[in-house]
Amino acid sequence: MSSSQTTTVNDPHLDNTTTTNNDTLPNNNSQEPSTSTDSSQYRSSTQYSFKPPPENSKTSTKPDLDDNEEEKRDDSMYVCNICLDIAKESVITMCGHLFCWPCLNCWLETKPQRQLCPVCKAAISKDKVVPLYGRNNEKQQDPRSKKSPPRPQAQRTEPDNSQNYQGFQSFGDAGFHLSFGIGAFPFVFFGSSFNFNDIRQRNGQNGSQFEEDQFLSKVFLWVAIIFFCWLILA
Amino acid sequence: MSNQSIQSENKPNNDEPVGNKGSAVAKRLQKELMALMMSSEKSVSAFPEDSNFFRWKATIVGPKETPYENQKYRLSIEFPNNYPYTAPTCKFTTPCFHPNIDISTGMLCLDILKEKWSALYDVRTILLSIQSLLSEPNNDSPLNSNAASLWDKKAEYKKYLDQFYEKNKDT
Repeated sequence: MSSSQTTTVNDPHLDNTTTTNNDTLPNNNSQEPSTSTDSSQYRSSTQYSFKPPPENSKTSTKPDLDDNEEEKRDDSMYVCNICLDIAKESVITMCGHLFCWPCLNCWLETKPQRQLCPVCKAAISKDKVVPLYGRNNEKQQDPRSKKSPPRPQAQRTEPDNSQNYQGFQSFGDAGFHLSFGIGAFPFVFFGSSFNFNDIRQRNGQNGSQFEEDQFLSKVFLWVAIIFFCWLILA
Repeated sequence: MSNQSIQSENKPNNDEPVGNKGSAVAKRLQKELMALMMSSEKSVSAFPEDSNFFRWKATIVGPKETPYENQKYRLSIEFPNNYPYTAPTCKFTTPCFHPNIDISTGMLCLDILKEKWSALYDVRTILLSIQSLLSEPNNDSPLNSNAASLWDKKAEYKKYLDQFYEKNKDT
């Protein structure tokens, strides 16, 4: 029992393997110590409680290294093509090449008559670069930016608002609609429509007109009911 | 395509105020040096001259299957203050017999070091371009007309070049 303790403490490899066993087959492992005395079971349980931290630290340090490598690789994607550093105040040309705004601005100013993308030599201009806004935009303030004109603004188009009025998209939206009418087609002498759960109600638009409509439809509804009653009674 | 034109192209821009460029240029040159030293490129190499980071010494090995095979040429590269917005000045310090290289001054005629310069080019790409210029000269605008006229006579060219190289390689 004491030997098992020493292995868990001293040998990190063994420790690691046992912990992985713990993860995959917890019952098997707990059964092993149970063959010895009861106290060993307690100890083993304490072992389990002790083990997770080293296991966690191990599993976390290794992916950390991988993360760092990956981060480096990822970072190299965001290197400005001019200063070869991580792009600050990044802008992207229409041809898709990334630069710091001060770097690109400087490049364009040195060749005002022939404004070409340094990477692919496509024709570019200051108005047609797109600024990239990361989350920590304020942190990326570059002192050089004061000497170069401000980055071009991003262009933004408002989303389309007319989608609200499509109506009857699904059954749930439809509401209940009933209308009465009398007369010879195409001439309707009087008619009434009867609406439940009108879509316009939800949109909250055309308030007064809507109330008027409702009033009229109620009036016509009663007229229709009276007319039917008269028809039946007569 | 004279020597003066190369210098005059770089000079006017040198005094242009372009922010605190000194440190930015040094930073970029440092990155380039790192990249050069990490790369497995054997045929070209470059290193700053003494303490001045803006003057580099470079060597180019002649490309294979060309008359320049197994020949080694030294160059000097001088970076302007607003590098990489303007091209560095490159010069052969080992005299080189080539249609586009001035035999006495070592100045060379290469479009990417002039009107086709891009801020993207770095020391490595410049040296590789010069290396490929050795194998593919532009005979339409020669700086060395002798070499340009001799280029088509391969055997003669090779013979003259070898003699010239042996004579001058140590200078």
